Order: sequence, then C-alpha cells, then structure tokens
Amino acid sequence: MTGFFIALMFYLTGAVLAWLFSSKRRWVGSITLAAHLLAALSLADVVIAAFRRGTVTMEYPLWTIAGIHAELFFKIDPLSALFLAIIALVAILVPLYGRGYMKMPEYDEYNLAGFYPVLSLFFVGVCCVVAAADLFFFFIFWEIMTLCSYGLVVFEKKDREKGRAGLKYFIITHIATALMFIAAMILYRESGSFSFQGQSDAMTSLLATRPYLLHLVLLFFFIGFATKAGILPMGDWLPGAYAAAPTPATAAFAGSMTKLGVYGILRIFVDLLPISASTQIWGAIIAVFGTISIFIGTLTALVQDDGKKLLSFHVIGQMGYMFLSIGIGIYFLPVQPLLALAGLCAGIFHLINNVCYKSCLFFNAGSVYWKVKTFNINLVGGLARLLPITAMWTLLASFAIAGLPPLNGFASKWLIYQTAIAGSNIAPLFMLLAVFALFISAVTLASFIKFSTALFYGKYADHGSGAQTGEVPPGMQLSQGLLVAACIGLGLFPLWPLHWISQAVSGLLPSAFLPPASALAGEQTLHGMALRWGAGLTAAWNPLSLLLVFILCFALVYGLYRLTKPVRRVETTWYCGEEQADDQVRYQAHSYYLAFKQLFTLQVGRYQRPGVYPTIHYPKIVFSDTGRLKKLLDLDHWFYHPLADTFQKMAYRFSATHSGIPHVYLLWLLLGAVSAVVLLFVLK
Amino acid sequence: MSSSVLQTVAQSAINVLLVLLLSPLLEGGVRKLVALVHSRIGPPVYQPYLDLLKLMSKEEIVSSSDGLFRYSPMICLALVLAAAVLTPIGAAPPMQMSGDAITFVYLITFSSVMIMMSGISSASPYGVIGSAREMMMILMVEPVMLIALITLGVKSGSMQFSDMMTYQAGQGPALSTVIAAVALFLSLIAQMARLPFDIVEADQEIMEGPFVEQSGTKLAFFKWAFYAKELIFAALFVSLFIPRPVFAGYGLNLLFGLLKMAVVLLLVGVVHVVNPRLRIDQAVRYFGVLIFVALIGLTFALVGA
Repeated sequence: MTGFFIALMFYLTGAVLAWLFSSKRRWVGSITLAAHLLAALSLADVVIAAFRRGTVTMEYPLWTIAGIHAELFFKIDPLSALFLAIIALVAILVPLYGRGYMKMPEYDEYNLAGFYPVLSLFFVGVCCVVAAADLFFFFIFWEIMTLCSYGLVVFEKKDREKGRAGLKYFIITHIATALMFIAAMILYRESGSFSFQGQSDAMTSLLATRPYLLHLVLLFFFIGFATKAGILPMGDWLPGAYAAAPTPATAAFAGSMTKLGVYGILRIFVDLLPISASTQIWGAIIAVFGTISIFIGTLTALVQDDGKKLLSFHVIGQMGYMFLSIGIGIYFLPVQPLLALAGLCAGIFHLINNVCYKSCLFFNAGSVYWKVKTFNINLVGGLARLLPITAMWTLLASFAIAGLPPLNGFASKWLIYQTAIAGSNIAPLFMLLAVFALFISAVTLASFIKFSTALFYGKYADHGSGAQTGEVPPGMQLSQGLLVAACIGLGLFPLWPLHWISQAVSGLLPSAFLPPASALAGEQTLHGMALRWGAGLTAAWNPLSLLLVFILCFALVYGLYRLTKPVRRVETTWYCGEEQADDQVRYQAHSYYLAFKQLFTLQVGRYQRPGVYPTIHYPKIVFSDTGRLKKLLDLDHWFYHPLADTFQKMAYRFSATHSGIPHVYLLWLLLGAVSAVVLLFVLK
Repeated sequence: MSSSVLQTVAQSAINVLLVLLLSPLLEGGVRKLVALVHSRIGPPVYQPYLDLLKLMSKEEIVSSSDGLFRYSPMICLALVLAAAVLTPIGAAPPMQMSGDAITFVYLITFSSVMIMMSGISSASPYGVIGSAREMMMILMVEPVMLIALITLGVKSGSMQFSDMMTYQAGQGPALSTVIAAVALFLSLIAQMARLPFDIVEADQEIMEGPFVEQSGTKLAFFKWAFYAKELIFAALFVSLFIPRPVFAGYGLNLLFGLLKMAVVLLLVGVVHVVNPRLRIDQAVRYFGVLIFVALIGLTFALVGA
C-alpha cells in the first residue's frame, strides 16, 4: 500500500514543482513527466501485489469523520489495480506528448501553471477514485477529478466557445454527481456507513424490504456513471468539452476519466449489488443504453468535419460497446456465470484496447494541428508527405478502432459479438443489440477511413499554413508509437490480458462464483450455442496462425511481383489532361459517403436535418406586452438616465458661477465669508 | 497430431492455389456467358489468364510515392488468399476456429480497405470517389452478409463454418435459412462487384475508380483479387446453402463443389448481363431494405423456424 501513497506523493510533488517552475516553459513538461514516471513505478508495485495477493488494503483508515462514520480508507483489489495500471500509463504518455505540444506558439499567452499542475492533480483524483473503499471519500476524489478536468477544459480561456462547453460539462456532471450522492445518502440511512461493505449491506436489506427504493438508488448511480462515461443522452457534454480541452488533456480524459464511468458501473452493479433478479434488469438496461450510444454516437461522428469532434463522438460510440458487453455480463450473472464472465471480460478488454487507440488518435489529431493549425479535416489533405510517421500511426490506430484484424479492436469486438450471439438463445434481445453493434462497426470503419485518408492522403492542402516538411518532436512521436505498439501486441496476444481481466472480474464476486478463465478455453455449449475461446497462443480467433498464413500468402504474392521484373516509371496523377487548381481536384472529407448520410437524414415535412443526433433548440423567450416590461427592466430608462441628467443640469448651473472675472470671484468670497459667520451665529 | 497438421497445411495450400489458379477460368466462363446473351462469340474462356499475363508484362506507372499505393495491391491479394484458408471449398475449411465466420468477413473487409487505400493514396478524385463508394457498399452489404451468417449460426449453434456445414448437410432447409440464402446471394453480387452493383469501378463513369492510377502487375493483382473473391464467395455460398450431395472422398466433393459454384456464378452472370448499373444512392436504399429482409430471417431463426 505504501507504493500507492508514494505515487500520490510523486503526483503532488510534480504538481507543486510544475507550479513553481511554470514560467520555465521548456522544463515544466519534463518535470511533470519525471514525476509521473516515478509515480507509475511506485504504482507498479501495488498493482503487482494486488494481482498476486488478491487485495491490498490499509490496516486502519487514514482519517475518520466521526459524525458521519466516513473513513478515508483505500483498498486495491485486482479491478482497481487494472485501472491503476491503465491510469499510470496514460499519465506518463500525456506529459510526454504535452512536452512538445504545449510549446506551440498558440499557448505562449497562457500560463502553463493552469495546465501541468492541474493535470497532476487530476491524476491524483483519478487514482484515489479507483482506490477508495468508502463512498463518501469516493465522491470527494470524484469531485477533485471533475474540477481538475473542468480546469483543463477551460484552459484556453480566451475562447468564449470553449468556456461555454466547459460550463455545460460542469453543470451536467455536477447534476450527475448530486444524484449519485443522493443515492449514497439513501443507502447510508439504511446502514449508517459509507464504506463499500456497508453500502452493499444496505442494498441487500433494501432488496428484501423496499426494492423500489433500491431501484431508485441504482437508477441514480447508473445516471451518474453513465454521464461520466458519455453514454447518451446524458453524455451530451462530451463532444464539446473534449474538443475544447488542449489535446494532451483530451487524451488524458479519453484514457482515464471517461473509463471511470465503467469502473463505477462495475463497482456498483457487480461488486456491491447482491446478485438477484434485479441484477438482470439493470444488465439489460445498461446494454440497451450502450447500444443507443453506439448507434447515435457513431453515426453522428460520421458527419463531423472537425477532427476532434469526430473523435469525441466516437468516444461515445466506443463507450457504448463497453456498456453493451458489460450489460450482457451483468445480465447473465444470476443465470449463466460463464457468459457473465465472457461479457464482463470482453467489455473490460475493449476498455483497455480503447484506451490504447483512442488516446493515440487524439494524439494524432493533435500532431496534425501542431503542423497545420486546424482541426478541420476539410481544409487539409495529403499530409503524409509532411508527417509520414504520424500518418502510419494514425492509419494503424484507425484500423485498430475500426476492428480490422489482427489489431486489438478486432480481438475485443470479436469477443463481444461472440458473447452476444451465444447469449441470444437465452435472451434474444442481445441478438438485436449485436446486429446494431456489427452494423456500426462498419460505420466506424467508414468514419476512420474518412478521418485518416482525408488528413494524410489525396491531394495536398495545408490550410495555407505553409507548413514545412519535418515530423513532430520525438516525444510526441514516441507517445503515439507506444500506443500503436500496444494495439498490435494486445491484438496478437489477446489471451494474455484476458487472463488478468478475468482475475479482476472474479475478484469482485464471491470466490468460485464465476468459473475460472480456463473454462472459456474449452468446448462449451450453452443452450445450444457453442462458445470456444481456445487456449494458449492460438487463442480466441487464432491471431498468430492467421498472421502466419497472411505472411506466407504475402510472400507468395510478393514473389510473383518480383518475378514479373516490373519497370517503374514515375508520372504525375492524371487529371483528365487539364491544368487544374488544387482545390478543384481535391475531394473534401465532407463529400465522403453523401448517399449513406442521406439515408440517416431526418425529414418531417419541410423540416430536415442531417444525422441522428438530437439537438434541442430552446425557443427564445418573447413577452406579449413587450413595451411596459421592457421599460420596467430597462434601468437606463427610468433610473440612470434621469439621475445623470439631473446631475448634469446642476453641474451646468454651478459652472455658471465660474465666469472668469476676478471681481466676481472676490464677491463670491465675501458672500461666503458672510454666510459662514451668519451660520456660526445661527448654529450657536 | 503431426499428420493432422500436415493435412491442414496441405489442404490450405490446395485452397490457396485453387483460388489463385482456377478463379480466372470461372471469370472467363462468365464472360463467355455474357457474350452469348449479347449474341457475340466473345473471348475464349482462358482470356482472363491472358489479361493477367499481359498486365504483368507491362511497365508500372507510378503516380504516388506513398508506400500504401505501392503495397496495397499485394496486401489486398494476400488478404483474399488468407481468407481462402478459412473458406470451405468443397470440404470443411482447412483452418477452423471459433467464430471464423466473423473473422472471414472482417478479412474480406480488410481487403476492400486496401482497395480504398490504393484509390485514395493516388490523389486522383476518381480514386477517392470510387473508394468512398466502396466504403458505402461495405456499410450496406457487410451487415446483410453477417446477418445471413448469424442466422445460420443460430440454427447450427455455432459461428464456425464447419459446424454450419454439418448442420446444413444434416438438416433440410428451413424458412430462416432460405431467407438467409436469398439475402446472402443478393449481397454476393455486390461483393463480386457485378452489375447492377459495379458502382465502385463504374468504368464508363469514374474510370475504374480506385484503380484509375494503378497499372501493370499491381492492376493485375487487384483484378486477380476480384476473380479470387468471386470464387471464394461462390464456394462459401455453395458450401453453406447447397451442401448436398455429400460424398465420402475429398476429390469428389471438390469436383461437385466446383460444379455447383459454376452454376451459382452462371446465375450471377445472368443477373449481371440483364441489369443496368444502379446509382450509389439507389444501391444504398436497396441494401437498406435487404438488411430488414435478412433481419426477418434472423428473427425466424431465433423463434426456431
């Protein structure tokens, strides 16, 4: 456990040092990076211990608030450890990337004291949320995390639009947190304790006595965590806030904060909620909301032209996949533990994969911004000649999120489909959800083909920024490259992470409730549906053997190519033999997939809007009796102006005495003296 | 153990070589059919081989220095050949694993992505338009195909081609599998880029779309990948939906399989020759309806029909 506190100390020290040296723009990023590296090293100790020993706890709480029995108590079980590992890695990559990114001249006018220290504090909050074992302090750390993230969202204060996005984020998440706190208070009334154990006991007793109250509590928790995760309709804040934050911070949100919504769902619905029929109801609800997010989020992403907005809507869609899978897992907890294990594992595996490619994609978008100063993918094109390596990272990360084999997105989506299809004989609802997920998987591919190719291929356009050749700084490269390497590694060896994940999931439930992970490896037939994940290196969908087959086939084809002894001749691209301006022959990102987008155009009579994303337009407030009310509200009219007029008139009158003739001034003096004497006598 | 590995390797090699060497012949047959309907004599059946050889002997004109432009044809063909290892051609596929139906579809999608990458990296607007169309076709066709395969998966209780084949050979056709067969067949026409769905290349319109800048051996590889896909899809359809008659020996099964595939391609050829090309928005709407048809089939499968 000491490792955890040392890590917190490193984060805090990093924050203080970064604050002190915030004027040293060249060093502040490196200071934060060093602190986060050290913190990650000390967290590794706790993570390994948690996986080896099951749980790491403290002997006694750090601090107890006597009046309400809230204890500052940390407990790290394998699930927390898993999240801590993800967080620690993201915490390293963000300053590694930010070191280069925040040196852009755009940020010269901003004080970096508003960025790096806040970032470190943010990670303190995130780590503590994951480790806390008491709901009261859980919310305190949750609030620290939210406030820090708000600070990062509105970092670029000069932009009014960004401030507005930040305000929306602030309001929505606080409503959600308030709801969750109400839920915790209801449970506290029942058991008199905020500790996870106490809250769980309260749920058990509520389930027996007042189940409707329990469902209210669960609803509040669901809304709270789904809001943070960006699940629609509560996740409406996400695209605006993500696009507003500086890109390294956005990657930090995508890599850690949004995922804590899933952590909360797992904690409440798997760990604390006693397994009963109500578990099933909530599992189905979570899965359905997940699918709604997949559908609306991804289809909306397809029509975005702003690179960062596009990625943000995909965050919503991808969170939907996790919710779908975890919902399936929760649904099957009481009836079919093996499918429950499969669903939960697939969901968490997708979460880990998502951290890898989503953070990488935000970094990619940032690198493009670094080069051409715009996120609008319509305005740029053919950047692969400026950023050849970034182009490769973007392409690979895009393939990973689109679920092309052998990358990690495919590995986890494959598991999700398999689980949903295997479960459909028990609950046909999941088949419908799986079909939605399959369809949207192709939309994701379309969206990322558009994103990566519009930026890097096609006719060259640099938005008039006159960008020079030369890649982004090595730190920014490295952070993207590491994430892509993780995408490939997790894709080729899916059983290795699944082993740890299944341990984390099993740790949440009574021992031997879930079958061991090895049960998924063998032949299993559940209600007539086969489920086999395989074992060893050729696990799941056999990535390694298929890769071998592909390499052999490629060798065959390449050999054939060499055999033909090709003669190469370099020519320019053919534009019908005419001299054309670049803009005339450039196919803009906006024009991709028009026919398909038309299919999802909402049209009611003359009213028409593209896309499926519901936007509420508030009507303007108009009063019928405008004249009088306007006058009443118009302070200028009846208060300031009359007052000012009176003063002005008086001043003019007074200035009339100021005639410029010395005799008159003498007369005034005399009159003044006389009146003073008279006054003295009168007053006496 | 080692003999089974040897058998797998041998059968995989047979599949790959079959797809590579036999597919132009089937294409030639379809061309002959088209010529017959047109009342022409038409090219000889082995014409596609000559086409490929001629393209391979030509010089290679390169308009983009991008690595993607250079390697996408090879990767595309290699992916199609890798998918051949998962495909049941005449017999159960040489490589079998859980959920290989899903993996197969994604491999084929990946090969289409390589076509798109070639088109877009050439920086020609025709290439980009063709690639965007290709993606739209995938968007609409892939769900139809997957739903049809899932329908079979629900009936047979497994998302593995070999289990589906065993089930189909043992059981007669059911309402849901018939609907799935129709849906799969209609989506195959699009996957094979045959009229009325050759919207991606549309030679008279956008001049072969994604391949407009490709030439020489690389264009040959793309063509070859298309021929190979035709054979693979025909084989898939035949093995899954027309499994009978089943013989004891591999050779006889393969022979009859090829015969049935020729019949399927004949049907595709007839559809090809009597239909004009649809516009992309018409095709998108068409497959939108087809998705619902396929979903109805899936619903029947879930209720046991």
